[in-house]
Amino acid sequence: MDETVAEFIKRTILKIPMTEMMTILKAWDFLPENQLQTVNFRQRKESLVQDLVLLCESKRASLRDAALLDIICEDVDLFDMERFKSSFEKILRRALKNVTVSFRDAEENAVWIRIAWGTQYRKPNQYKPVYVVYYSQTPYAFTSFCHLKSNAPLLSQALTVASNHHKIVKMDLRSRYLDSLKAIVFKQYNQKFETHNSTMPLQETLELDMHMDSRIIHENRIEKERVQRVTQETFGDYPQPRLEFAQYKLETKFKSDFHGGILAERKEPLRCLIKFSSPHLLEALKSLAPAGIADAPLSPLLTCIPNKGMNYFKIRDK
Amino acid sequence: MEWANDKSKGGVLAHLERLETQMSRSCKNLEDPPRETAESDLGTKIHKLRCLRDKLRAEVKQRQARIKASTASAEPDQTLEISEQEAVGGKEENMKAILQAYRFTGLSGKRTSRGVCVCISTAFEGNLLDSYFVDLVIQKPLRIHHHSVPVFIPLEEISAKYLQTNIQHFLFCLCEYLNAYAGRKYQADQLQRDFAAFLAGPLQRNSLYNLLSFTYKVEPQGRSFPFCARLLYKDLTTTLPTDVTITYQGTDASSTSWEEQRASHENLFFTKPLHQVFTSFARNGERLDMSLVS
Repeated sequence: MDETVAEFIKRTILKIPMTEMMTILKAWDFLPENQLQTVNFRQRKESLVQDLVLLCESKRASLRDAALLDIICEDVDLFDMERFKSSFEKILRRALKNVTVSFRDAEENAVWIRIAWGTQYRKPNQYKPVYVVYYSQTPYAFTSFCHLKSNAPLLSQALTVASNHHKIVKMDLRSRYLDSLKAIVFKQYNQKFETHNSTMPLQETLELDMHMDSRIIHENRIEKERVQRVTQETFGDYPQPRLEFAQYKLETKFKSDFHGGILAERKEPLRCLIKFSSPHLLEALKSLAPAGIADAPLSPLLTCIPNKGMNYFKIRDK
Repeated sequence: MEWANDKSKGGVLAHLERLETQMSRSCKNLEDPPRETAESDLGTKIHKLRCLRDKLRAEVKQRQARIKASTASAEPDQTLEISEQEAVGGKEENMKAILQAYRFTGLSGKRTSRGVCVCISTAFEGNLLDSYFVDLVIQKPLRIHHHSVPVFIPLEEISAKYLQTNIQHFLFCLCEYLNAYAGRKYQADQLQRDFAAFLAGPLQRNSLYNLLSFTYKVEPQGRSFPFCARLLYKDLTTTLPTDVTITYQGTDASSTSWEEQRASHENLFFTKPLHQVFTSFARNGERLDMSLVS
């Protein structure tokens, strides 16, 4: 190994605070775990650095590896697609020998990953692959349904380490439309902003059949306008992202006005599952109040779906 | 049409007329005379009342117009008032235009019912690029209602640091990040669009456009080996790279001429925007061609 490279690595490691040393070395992924464990991290920093540099020399670190370490030490998120792909694949292969991983670069700096899972003794099943779409430098990845639930933690670990991100957390948001999921998660659905340049008036006044005979009077015109206004405030004027379900798992005690009812006596919470399904759930919810089927404003449990980015809820008594 | 010609008296239209008169005659015969008169009486009454209503409405309108005209003529400087009105209207138009043009300063805003909606218009080298919005709610504490800032820009960090204490700095910082991002993106897009012939492979980039990796040649049809470039923009507020690594994989990698070229390229990438670097490559190529021709 070149002397300049050794010096560079030494200086870079010296800059790392002791508290983050292990995290950064793990993220660098150049020195394997077993080797790192042989090092005494409780000694003085100078001696620790010397030991680490010797290890790097034995592994013949290149300038590129040293540069990678430098990148990781900086706070800046420098995402390298090639490095991500190789890191991701390495992590999966280390855990499972039988796995097929393929990549495809897509638009907007996203990468499509196809994973065919196998087991210790069986070859990967190419007919039931899992697809993951990862957007670089964001904490978001979209995965298709995974039949083998046991591989899910491995997948999320691989994503977290390879992408250099804080823990990638599973969201309770599911839909068949990737674009709608993207719209919700990247907050691209609420794009109406007030500017001086807008030519369209923001408040669209309710047009109640002006062509109709002027002898016909709408008795509930005021109420209709109120419902329209509330709906517009809640849902906005933009097209809603497309979801097919909203599921509420309730574990609450039954509340009733009738004393002495059978269910009111229960001490244990009632468990039930309520599922709303529709070809376009959010548009359907938006049309409930104007159609007169529900009161406006709707329950916040329904209207919070895009804001919270979840359509699977668990509700318990506080 | 055979049956019409059979009638031989004027054709289809004449036939239809005859049918029509036949029908009205038979209708009249079927009608109940007393009911008919009662209905038609009511009908004419309705018609009369409607006419009266319309007439009265028209008269009311006329009288209102007359009153307006008379009060206006009572004023001595009628023309002056009209021109003042026009002047105010003109000023309003002017004001609106100025408010719209504020966009070009890069940072503009509009009062909303909740607070203010700030618009950050990015630009690079005199080209107006995308605009981003931040809708602020003026409350204690100040908060962001919604925004169109991309998720990979560290908005949470910047707002955690400055939003509550120094809103000017918050906006300035956000402007810096967004303009730098837009500038880097613009350079990469220009390179891919205008200088695709110089690229020997795909341009690798990430969401923030702060790590670019590509292979290029100095001449589009060059027989020379390509150079590999790796540009890092560690400072997210700049549009020029902080680290440049150019490598050359040719067989004569050790030759001094290539080493000189490599070093000069590195310097170029450090100091000039991407597309300008390639413009100079193209120009050098032209100069070479010119010298060959002459």
